[in-house]
Amino acid sequence: MKKMLFLMLALFVGVSASAQTLPDVKVENQDGKVISTKSLADGTPMIISFWSTTCKPCIMELNAINDSLYDWLEEVDMKVVAVSVDDARTVSRARAMAQGQGWDDFECIYDKNQDFKRAMNVSLTPHVFIVDGKGNIVYSHSGYTPGSEQELFEKIKKLR
Amino acid sequence: MKKFLLFVGVAAATFMVESASAQVQVGKGQLSGSLESNNILYVTDEATASVDDWQDPRLRNFGSHDYLKLDYTLDRFSAGIQIDGYLPALYGYDVYRFNRNEMEDPKGKRLFGGFLTKYIQWEDTNYGIRVGDIYDQFGNGLIFRAYEERALGFNNSVAGARVHYNLKNYFNIKVLAGSPRLYDERAGNWVWGGDLSLSISDMAGWNDGMVSLEGSYVGRYQKDAQLVTLPAYGLSLADKGLDSDLLNMVSGRFNFEYAGFTLRSEYAAKLNNDIFPGSDAAKGNAIYLDLGYSYKRFSATATFRRQVNMNTMTKLDGKCFDEPPIIHTINYLPMLTRQYTYSLANLNPYTGVKNDREAGGQIDLYYSLRNPKNRAKYWNFHLNASLFYQLKDELHPEAHLRWFDINADVDRQWSRKLKTTFLYSRQQYDSNYLGWGPNGEKETIYCVSDIFVADLTYKFNKKHSLRVELQYLWDATNLYYPFKDDETAQSTFEMSMSDKEAKLFEQGKIDEATMIRKGKNRAYDNDGDWVAATIEYNFAPMFSFYVSDMWNITKSLGYYSVDGGNQGKLLHYYQVGASFTYDRYRVQLSYGRNRAGTVCSGGVCRYQPAYTGANLSFTASF
Repeated sequence: MKKMLFLMLALFVGVSASAQTLPDVKVENQDGKVISTKSLADGTPMIISFWSTTCKPCIMELNAINDSLYDWLEEVDMKVVAVSVDDARTVSRARAMAQGQGWDDFECIYDKNQDFKRAMNVSLTPHVFIVDGKGNIVYSHSGYTPGSEQELFEKIKKLR
Repeated sequence: MKKFLLFVGVAAATFMVESASAQVQVGKGQLSGSLESNNILYVTDEATASVDDWQDPRLRNFGSHDYLKLDYTLDRFSAGIQIDGYLPALYGYDVYRFNRNEMEDPKGKRLFGGFLTKYIQWEDTNYGIRVGDIYDQFGNGLIFRAYEERALGFNNSVAGARVHYNLKNYFNIKVLAGSPRLYDERAGNWVWGGDLSLSISDMAGWNDGMVSLEGSYVGRYQKDAQLVTLPAYGLSLADKGLDSDLLNMVSGRFNFEYAGFTLRSEYAAKLNNDIFPGSDAAKGNAIYLDLGYSYKRFSATATFRRQVNMNTMTKLDGKCFDEPPIIHTINYLPMLTRQYTYSLANLNPYTGVKNDREAGGQIDLYYSLRNPKNRAKYWNFHLNASLFYQLKDELHPEAHLRWFDINADVDRQWSRKLKTTFLYSRQQYDSNYLGWGPNGEKETIYCVSDIFVADLTYKFNKKHSLRVELQYLWDATNLYYPFKDDETAQSTFEMSMSDKEAKLFEQGKIDEATMIRKGKNRAYDNDGDWVAATIEYNFAPMFSFYVSDMWNITKSLGYYSVDGGNQGKLLHYYQVGASFTYDRYRVQLSYGRNRAGTVCSGGVCRYQPAYTGANLSFTASF
């Protein structure tokens, strides 16, 4: 175990900064069709938010983003991708909730076995990413406090 | 502790290096990773000193679960590792019970452990190969699901190989084989399987809806499984009815979606006898149905599931078959009831039936009412109900209601500043099953709780906000009702009354007598009325502070007849905590007293013994 850790440290030497990009993982869209997460990058900057039906702050955050979305869209071109990490047990509840919370302006995707979550190295939800139109991850943040959505907007504005 | 410090030190150093750059390029590829560390410092507190015999006081003061994950991606190629550290294992997690053996390992050295998972993968447009640890699921997981759930300390990733191939959207085939993980070991036996899905709608060129047919096969092979003799059984598994070392399972699925309607259905069966802790080997089957409808901002779903002997143990020997058993499965049959986000609504969650013979379902209705001119004003309505039965077997001559709940919540955003949520939940459950009925095992008492929650968030400005949460649980259980038609039960029951209670009972003061009766109930003060409150102050985007408390007011009103232990005492389950978030880093620190109870995540539950202590958790990613 010790050796392993030192090996990893060694690996980290000589690394240079650059943008991380969206991984290529299969998820389901709102219609139940399988899509690749690579296809999310369509030229429009986006907020990617990981949520689940049992994560209250996640839902608060998405609702807060939803409230402000029209104001933001007046200033920038952007989209919101809500990634449900609900498993087989609650995925239908997640679909119903996305509809019932009025998240019609979001692109809702369903990551039933958490492949996307793992690939994005998300440990805890809520976890948001800001991704530019080419699929480069430029910012990420975990946890939600009311008002922190404003920071996301500031970051996305800087992308222009 | 030394190992732990080393781990944290190295991990912190790693992340220091990373924080300068935030994203990492190695050659042409990129490296990403995450660290999660959950630590508890246990403090001696008589009130929460546990009675569980597997709690060893000598090892009580510290526990830590840590996860370091690294992935390297170069175009279609990726590889990664994850190190899980138990430094040592935390109380209440199955990995603790799995590794604890007071006789052979009095100092609990085996509680310190780690586990390394790794993979390499090539993912092309229409095929993919992965070698190493595999996470996957077939359909709804009725016969196979390999996943990780850190909140439960669960991971059953299969170490082996997986290949999948798809022809456009028409069909998708997947095969895999390997050995599943069992806590911090490899199970050593084999799991293999295949999954095929055909999209009928795509083949027919029908784009308005979706029709698919799917099927899976899973085998679990354990050499000489029939010869295994478990101490608790005394007989070999063959004597208990196990007819093969290889268990074959199949499932078929049909999914349909059109114009807002969805249907997802699955039938699964075990073709051989399989054994589950506490029962004889038998064949199993399950039906799963999920119906949905949505129109604009209204949506409804209904789920039904019936299962008989369908839980499939990862391995058929060893500590998992101890009493009480440590359940570790290769498939996924979670509780389908609503998992509440409020503490009192989660006080006594549904934990399933003991004999793995269950039928039940749940419904959800959602509706959102919005002001078209002002997005900041809306109402969200939600109604949910669920009903679960224990199916009959030798011990239970009739199907028997185990759980019923109905709940509704209303979210109202009044303005950008003020938001309120109200929740009402009625829960009814069989108390004998939960093991704390006041009259032994003979009678069934349905405990009834009515739970009321008010949750208010007020934003002072863009950065400052306050959240207040108030909860009340009214124990509406009628403890006298079940015996009025049964003289024997009634007289046994009356004999169990204290003088004061009997007097009140005779005088017809049933309410007051009930209070005493509730006070007398044994075990972890599930009974009686509870209140809880939380105040949280947020300073966005970095800081959050909270204080909360919950206590049993039936006890605080003095209706308790003390018969030893902590039962007569009024206990405050208080918590104070703060979190700090910066970029990709989050630190959370809390201190408080935690009630013994069931902790559920993703519909799977574990028992958490009471403890008092400080929690420090840390997450980071790059």
